[in-house]
Amino acid sequence: MHSTIVRGQNVFGFFTTVCFVVAALIAASDLLAPRTPKATVAANTVQVVRGRPHYYSTKKEEYAIIRFTMNADFSSLFTWNTKQVFVYVSASWPNSTSEELVNEAVIWDTIITNPSADHLQNIGPAAMKKLVKSAKGKSIDPKRGKIDLKNQKPKYQITAPTGKLQDTDGVVLRVHYNVQPWVGVLTWTPQIEFGSWKKLKGGVSKAFKLPSIKKKDPPKKA
Amino acid sequence: MLSSLQKPRPAAAQLLSFGLILSTAFMMWKGLSVITDSPSPIVVVLTSSMEPAFQRGDLLFLNNRDIVSEPGVGDIVVYNVDGIDIPIVHRIIQKWEGAGTKFLTKGDNNMADDTGLYAKGQNYLGRENIIGSVIAYVPFVGYVTILLSEYPWLKTVMLGLMGLMVILQRE
Repeated sequence: MHSTIVRGQNVFGFFTTVCFVVAALIAASDLLAPRTPKATVAANTVQVVRGRPHYYSTKKEEYAIIRFTMNADFSSLFTWNTKQVFVYVSASWPNSTSEELVNEAVIWDTIITNPSADHLQNIGPAAMKKLVKSAKGKSIDPKRGKIDLKNQKPKYQITAPTGKLQDTDGVVLRVHYNVQPWVGVLTWTPQIEFGSWKKLKGGVSKAFKLPSIKKKDPPKKA
Repeated sequence: MLSSLQKPRPAAAQLLSFGLILSTAFMMWKGLSVITDSPSPIVVVLTSSMEPAFQRGDLLFLNNRDIVSEPGVGDIVVYNVDGIDIPIVHRIIQKWEGAGTKFLTKGDNNMADDTGLYAKGQNYLGRENIIGSVIAYVPFVGYVTILLSEYPWLKTVMLGLMGLMVILQRE
């Protein structure tokens, strides 16, 4: 009853119980912090090109390049339990059959790490040292959650499975985010308000149309 | 050890309680599988393709039941490629609804999307390839399973230690 092995077992059992309870409390603390994200997004220039969009494409396809402007404030999403916020802008449009935005593709994304997770980023040692030093010992800089892009080139060109993209109507750009905690539940852009967690204010662009592929002008006569 | 042969009842009782513990663990696992409608409701992150979000050894809790809606763009899902039984944890970056909804995925830490990982001739994933979306996350806890699979001798060492503890406890 008082052997070392039993003592070890009791300590280990207590340790796991404490770990579990502390993790549950940390995860629950997320609900107490209010969230008030805001964003505005608009499409700048839109191009539909016929060509090979990816290095592995074997045939020519129609792909769209959508340059956009975006202003967002996600600083309220950063708490002590946040590990990173993944922000992504997607273009979506409905099918010919219904009003629902059933086609959706991400054109741009970024990862904003919490200062506590900066050391996990994929950047070189000099930049890493600078980043960690700039945030050490301070409370989370509100500028971390602010994004300001003007005429941003998209990260990804979008192709549809049907292969046809030109003259698509009713395309909207939407801003979404995904909060990754250190411990607990992952959350995305909310559809309903939950306690002190507000919905994303704005974040949807006006509908626009994907243009036709530019036809090459006939060669000018000499 | 020899004393157990003279007293079969306590030995049998111990064996029974050991069996009960094992079957309770199994029942809890399968119960969770049924609730989440996923063949593997808890997975360990094996690759670094979702860094800095997930590191190797992190534990992910999945849900495969479409309560509110189907998996959407931006969701982190675990999927199996047609014909291969290795689960991959990546994020959905494209969704095309229709007769058969098509998904395209990509790891946050990868430059290119997952088209190269899919089966030959398969350009998109279907709903049936997805075995769950990530809903919760605990860091580090799963690293033990990675160690056990990469260093198989650890398994024999751990079993040996447990066997030793059982024998020593009797005397």
